[in-house]
Amino acid sequence: MYLTDEEKSMLNGERGEIIQKCMKVLVTLGEIYGAKRMLKIKSVHFPGVSYRVTGDAGLNYVKEASTQGSFIVPATLNNVGIDMHNWEELGFDPDFAHSQIELSKAYAKMGAVMSNSCTPYLYGNIPMFGEHVAWGESSAICFVNSVIGARTNREGGPTALAAAITGRVPEYGLHLDENRKGTIRVAVNVELLSDTDFASLGYYIGTIVGKGIPVFTGIKNRPTTENLKALSAALASSGAVALFHIVGITPEAATLEAVIDKDVPVYSFGEKEYAEAFEKFNYSGDVDFVVFGCPHASIQEIRKIASLLKGKKVKAETWICTSHQIKDLAAQMDSLEILEEAGVTIVCDTCPVLCQTLPRGYKNVVTNSGKMAHYIRGLWDVKSRLAQVEDCVKAAVSGRLE
Amino acid sequence: MEKIILEGRKIVEGSAEGEALVTSQPLSFMGSVNPKTGYIIEQGHELEGQCLKGKIFVFPFSKGSTGGSYMLYDVVKNGVGPLGIINSDAEVVCVIGAIVAELPMLDQVNLERIETGDYIRMNATDGVVEVTKKAK
Repeated sequence: MYLTDEEKSMLNGERGEIIQKCMKVLVTLGEIYGAKRMLKIKSVHFPGVSYRVTGDAGLNYVKEASTQGSFIVPATLNNVGIDMHNWEELGFDPDFAHSQIELSKAYAKMGAVMSNSCTPYLYGNIPMFGEHVAWGESSAICFVNSVIGARTNREGGPTALAAAITGRVPEYGLHLDENRKGTIRVAVNVELLSDTDFASLGYYIGTIVGKGIPVFTGIKNRPTTENLKALSAALASSGAVALFHIVGITPEAATLEAVIDKDVPVYSFGEKEYAEAFEKFNYSGDVDFVVFGCPHASIQEIRKIASLLKGKKVKAETWICTSHQIKDLAAQMDSLEILEEAGVTIVCDTCPVLCQTLPRGYKNVVTNSGKMAHYIRGLWDVKSRLAQVEDCVKAAVSGRLE
Repeated sequence: MEKIILEGRKIVEGSAEGEALVTSQPLSFMGSVNPKTGYIIEQGHELEGQCLKGKIFVFPFSKGSTGGSYMLYDVVKNGVGPLGIINSDAEVVCVIGAIVAELPMLDQVNLERIETGDYIRMNATDGVVEVTKKAK
């Protein structure tokens, strides 16, 4: 592949061992995918920031980079494995917490923005249309590609690190116009009214489309940011979806013809398919854990849950996971007080997908998130139920869901 | 025993041999694999309860969390990972993990010709997979 003189000097070691190692990773990847050159990027969002994900292998990889490396583009961090300010009170294991703090310090030393959230597009890192970026976190990738129209491939931890240190990624995949067209069309024949409804659409279609690009038609009401966040997360959990289009809504899909230029398979998503998605996570009975905020809750989601819980008390352990910035905002409104009085725990910086397993022995989990319902089963060996936010609140208060 | 030769595309160079563990379902290394033990933990996955240790892992492509790159690296470093990976259409999260773990990896291989229990000799550098079919 073509490299500029500057990129060649990175690759041949003139700028130090760490930059050389990073450039080697990017060139290797570029050659696999047939990239012709490197692109300069505007920002990075890091996956692989939780010690649960990196393990000691990744921790040592990042620490080694931090001995010499520093970030030359703005770089935000995904969820860590603990609530950074509240981990002792929440009962996180001290050994795990200390490894996490070590990992976070290595990122901080290189110049990372300590956002610790899977929703950087709500706060702290908002790309523009058409901009090339290097993002990890499967749900956030899907959101910025699709909803904003920025361009990123699915970056894993080591390439996000290489991109932040060199400011480059190889030009392949979703950075190129020709790879952003739809590979299937989905005719939506059911009205989607909530974030959970959009999650059911995403979970069902992610299984079918794999790593392809779905184009949705028939979504008449303009979705909210939270609807699209839920759709992005679910598509990237059951599948490897990094980009979707909604005709008439998302910026690259003004018309069907703009995003589909050949014959593609057509699927229908109606009442039957909608019900099937919920059937995948259909636990009913006693509930000991209710989780909101996957991806991290927005201030609108927190307001909604607070309005449903006002004056009530939860019986099941109930978490709302969010960023510390959004929690600060909730504290300046009445939402935080209402939720704390109801007995809800606001957990910042992390979530049950990315934190260590808690020692409390929860068995039956209810959530309004398709992504959480999917991952928590395997990670915590529990049963899970996907339910509307109102039903999640009922389960939290009564400790049961039929 | 019947031997077949399949061709593929080099993703990460190197050679490996071992028994094949095969699935037609995509997999996420984050959330579907316990990195301390190498066991597959995704409920409802057709390989749930199987272990990656010492196997040539044959699956179509990676899905899900981008944390999967470090998780693959970690599972290999912990000595409970696969010895090599064969995909039909390599997805980048697994590719990145294999690059840093220096794990031999190929893609563009016809996976329908390989079954769990077959013995695999893979030379990723040359893009060749030798499959010795298990006794019927």
